Amino acid sequence: MSNVLAVLEQRDGALRKVSHEVVTGARRLADALGGSVEALVLAAGAVRGAEQVGRFGADKVITLTNAAFGLYAPEGYARAIAERVKSGTYGVVAFAASATGKDLAPRVAARLGRPLAQDVTDFGVEGGAVTVTRPVYAGKALLKLKITGAPALISLRPSVFTPVERPKAGAQETAAAGGSAGRVVVKQIKAAEAGTLDVAEAPIIVSGGRGLKEPANFKVLEELAAAFAGRAAVGASRAVVDAGWRPHAEQVGQTGKTVSPTLYVAVGISGAIQHLAGMRTSKVIVAINKDKDAPIFKVADYGIVGDLFEVVPKLTEEIKKTHG
Amino acid sequence: MKIAVCIKRVPDSETRVKIASDGKSLDEAGVKFILNPYDEFAVEEALRRKEKAGSGEVVVIALGPAAAQETIRTALAMGADRGILLQSDRIPLDGLEVAQALAAEFKGAGFDLILFGKMAIDDYNHQVGPMVAELLDLPCVTTVAHLEIDGGKGVAEREIEGGVEVVEFPLPAVLTTDKGLNEPRYPALKGIMAAKKKPLEVKTVSLGGGGLELLALTPPPERKEGKIVGEGAAAVPELVRLLREEAKVL
Amino acid sequence: MAEGAGSPKGVPDGPGKRFRPAQYQPPLPLDRLILKDGAEGAGDRMELDVLIVGAGPAGLACAIELARLAQREGTDRNIGVLEKAESLGEHSLSGAVVNPRAFRELFPDLKDADFPFRGPVGKERVALLTSRRAITLPTPPTMHNAGNYVASLCEIVRWMGERATALGVNVFTGFPAASLLVDGRGVAGVRTAATGLDREGRPLSNYMAPNDLTAKVTALAEGTRGTLSQAWLEWQAVRSENPQIFALGVKEIWETKRPLDSIVHTLGWPVPTDGFGGSFMYPLEPNLVALGLVVGLDYRNAALDVHELLQLMKLHPLFRQYLEGGELVEWGAKTIPEGGYYALPGRRAGDGVVLLGDSAGFVDVPSLKGIHYAMQSGIFAARAIHAALKAGDASAARLADYDRLVNASFIMNDLYRTRNMRLAFKDGFYAGGMKAALMTLTGGRFPGGRIAMEPDAEVERRLTPTLRPGLPTPDGRLTFSKVDAVFKSGNATRDTIPIHLVVGKDVPTAVAEFYARMCPAGVYELAQGALRVNAPNCVDCKATDVLGPRWTPREGGSGPKYKRM
Repeated sequence: MSNVLAVLEQRDGALRKVSHEVVTGARRLADALGGSVEALVLAAGAVRGAEQVGRFGADKVITLTNAAFGLYAPEGYARAIAERVKSGTYGVVAFAASATGKDLAPRVAARLGRPLAQDVTDFGVEGGAVTVTRPVYAGKALLKLKITGAPALISLRPSVFTPVERPKAGAQETAAAGGSAGRVVVKQIKAAEAGTLDVAEAPIIVSGGRGLKEPANFKVLEELAAAFAGRAAVGASRAVVDAGWRPHAEQVGQTGKTVSPTLYVAVGISGAIQHLAGMRTSKVIVAINKDKDAPIFKVADYGIVGDLFEVVPKLTEEIKKTHG
Repeated sequence: MKIAVCIKRVPDSETRVKIASDGKSLDEAGVKFILNPYDEFAVEEALRRKEKAGSGEVVVIALGPAAAQETIRTALAMGADRGILLQSDRIPLDGLEVAQALAAEFKGAGFDLILFGKMAIDDYNHQVGPMVAELLDLPCVTTVAHLEIDGGKGVAEREIEGGVEVVEFPLPAVLTTDKGLNEPRYPALKGIMAAKKKPLEVKTVSLGGGGLELLALTPPPERKEGKIVGEGAAAVPELVRLLREEAKVL
Repeated sequence: MAEGAGSPKGVPDGPGKRFRPAQYQPPLPLDRLILKDGAEGAGDRMELDVLIVGAGPAGLACAIELARLAQREGTDRNIGVLEKAESLGEHSLSGAVVNPRAFRELFPDLKDADFPFRGPVGKERVALLTSRRAITLPTPPTMHNAGNYVASLCEIVRWMGERATALGVNVFTGFPAASLLVDGRGVAGVRTAATGLDREGRPLSNYMAPNDLTAKVTALAEGTRGTLSQAWLEWQAVRSENPQIFALGVKEIWETKRPLDSIVHTLGWPVPTDGFGGSFMYPLEPNLVALGLVVGLDYRNAALDVHELLQLMKLHPLFRQYLEGGELVEWGAKTIPEGGYYALPGRRAGDGVVLLGDSAGFVDVPSLKGIHYAMQSGIFAARAIHAALKAGDASAARLADYDRLVNASFIMNDLYRTRNMRLAFKDGFYAGGMKAALMTLTGGRFPGGRIAMEPDAEVERRLTPTLRPGLPTPDGRLTFSKVDAVFKSGNATRDTIPIHLVVGKDVPTAVAEFYARMCPAGVYELAQGALRVNAPNCVDCKATDVLGPRWTPREGGSGPKYKRM
């Protein structure tokens, strides 16, 4: 039981970048188990980018096609993947812990009668068994688990398993998957309404303080947030909300209301009395301020000392490049 | 409408996490337990749907220790009609074990909707809802942030990366709820009084062996000293590189 | 509820300026705090036999005793306790070293070992501090704590709450009493605060209207500087010989590397010599230490900041040796009524109402005790209420039984004996110390007579430039900023909540600065020359109500979430 099945994701017929991370993780596991990596993607037809996956260590790439599989079909996908797993001998089935992955993986696990470790940030093999590490209690602790039996089902937290090129054959295969989409039908994907990302839940917050000087200048932050393609919300310090520059909904609290983004960018916030207690549980804090002695730099993981009106547009440019 | 809501008793998310001396569990000294916040959206949704339909029943189910009765009473105080506690001191690590115990409760019970919060704020497992659906062979939509139901059909919206998925499904169904679906009501004084008299059944549950073994619970790595990457716009490419390769947040 | 704006209109600002806080303090908003029963604006209405405002030790002792008396007679008694915190204990804070006698009286079937205490007091130490040294003093007789127990008030309250609920008492957490409902001269009940309003006072989607709760007797057990208690006393013109005065205590709990095996009290530094106060340090466990600094609010220097002084104090070797390498686990603050015997209201019972515990002023400063007085007052109130309900008469005359029980008890004896001790310190540390020593030696007889007092807000303040140097930037390891401290209080108040503080008009810069230092939670800031009010920071210590903007009840569940304070 040493082979790893990596479940990839496509959207609009193109492979999503997170799939490279899944294959990278799968390759690492397969090497530790002494087996091969099979990458699996479900789609309505050929998937652009599937042919690239060999670079990251896939021995084989299988595209399972079905006219109903263009958009995510929860029951259809779960059935097809479970059948594939039953027909093979896999030690591990790996998903991305994306919105789709976190929905799909439990369905497959229940069909197979196997446990699932979601949102894994590290893994290993000890005594032939797969061990995983995952954050719990809002990231305030790490849980290490051993998965007994096979296959082990895991979903990998996005942005943790940086894609690494370890080229393998990546032999392409296409097969037809039978059956319907299932009872649950995704009709369409709408664009997210601008500004609906709740500051309290956003994975990335770009927050501004009085250093922005005028309400109109918040535009540079809106542009930076937009560069993160829907993952970022604009936040505002209390001073700025009190002054009426930004709506209450954007206020990032002062009294410890937990805002726990993965990335918190504090722009023109000195970090003194406006210092946001809740933000300190952010995974990574970046501060941009022209005062090198600003207290925020003591709290930040990374800082740039400079004029935010020069730094932020440049940051927007660079972020657009990575998200392109 | 007959609706079941599965809830969990969890430590308050503001909890300072202290690991017990066994290195495997949370030190519960001074820890406050609450109704899982994501479950509040589920309870609220159930109450609204029942109110809209004009009749029906909202049943709240929890799997947990005896103290979870208090958590069930909170949901009853919000307006649920009755509660069931599947009493177990040990909460399985393996979501599938939990799902199996819950599914056994629901078999043949004839619920129009079975609601869950999308995940519990202690284990972040994000799986019991869809697993229960699979075991009962019911349609399921997870992380629902907007919901419309018309007769035997529903349309849900859920957030995905860069967009919103619009999903159609038939009833009966299992749904897991996300923030934004509704604004949960506070229990009213009268509701708190009434909750004491509402039926709460306690059943013992036998849990199967799970496939997950707990090796350790540890604190996260120490936060490293921050660094000033550089000055001005020229420092930006290096910052982005660090965010991508070192911090792994991009 | 308007925010104040700084204004130098004809008022010289800057160091050296003198002012009395009372000049800028609005009066208690009686028109909001006292409503006619039946007034519009409430959603639900609930009738009880007895309503208790506040689930602290006084309120819960009253509830438990009432429930037991009713149970013994087979009477059905509908008892409700309203608590503004989201869960029991979250707004409770005290040192604490507890005298167990009230516990023994309330629970005669239990032994000391059954009570929610952490451990008996073993070794004790009293020290006089200078900025560098600690000089051990012989323990003053009023401060001997043998036979008492170190405890967490939060844990006491939760334990009592369980017993109350088991006896059928309805404890409603998250429901602050915002107004008294009155009928003629009598108290008919209370109206709770509304929930789910935005900053402009407009209802949000989860808005809940206030509730009216009526009862034959309402027991006000609101703790220190109770709002409804003050309103009732003013409305009924109940006087006391001296006005009530207060101290502010700021407290922290630490997990320490080095174990502490004795309780410690200190006098002197860092409290200024013209001020009154001292510190305490108690082991909840050998490596779980509670410590705090208490300072009388009649301090003369407008720049005094109790939180800051506590941070400075922790750097003293006496404390540092325990705290170094440890972790700050909790922080909080609360005022303590210090006026003692002469500040007690002339009567603490009226038509349909009684005042309990700290709200009545039952605190003995020299021994730092209040919890067992609070509980005992609750027990006496319960007995008087029980008899009144049986007689079908909840008038002031009948409820005066409560006053008679208290007056004949150790509560009044103890307070009378130390009646002038705190007041002696009005003349400063050394003169006060001598007077206090004489009082102790003579059992309170000399110097006798009542020492007159003025309310804290009438004491003149001055911003003195020649203050001792302030604390350098908090290091986040041993010393902490107010914002970090508030975070450690568990305060997660909704940021869009309406402002609950009533601020005076035209607050000059000097006074704004005074507020900023006075408030341990950083509610007040001087920003851009104006007073900024960060109301969600408030931890309900009530210092502001004593010296500055008036505190009023706000949405239930707001404020701190103490766990073991």
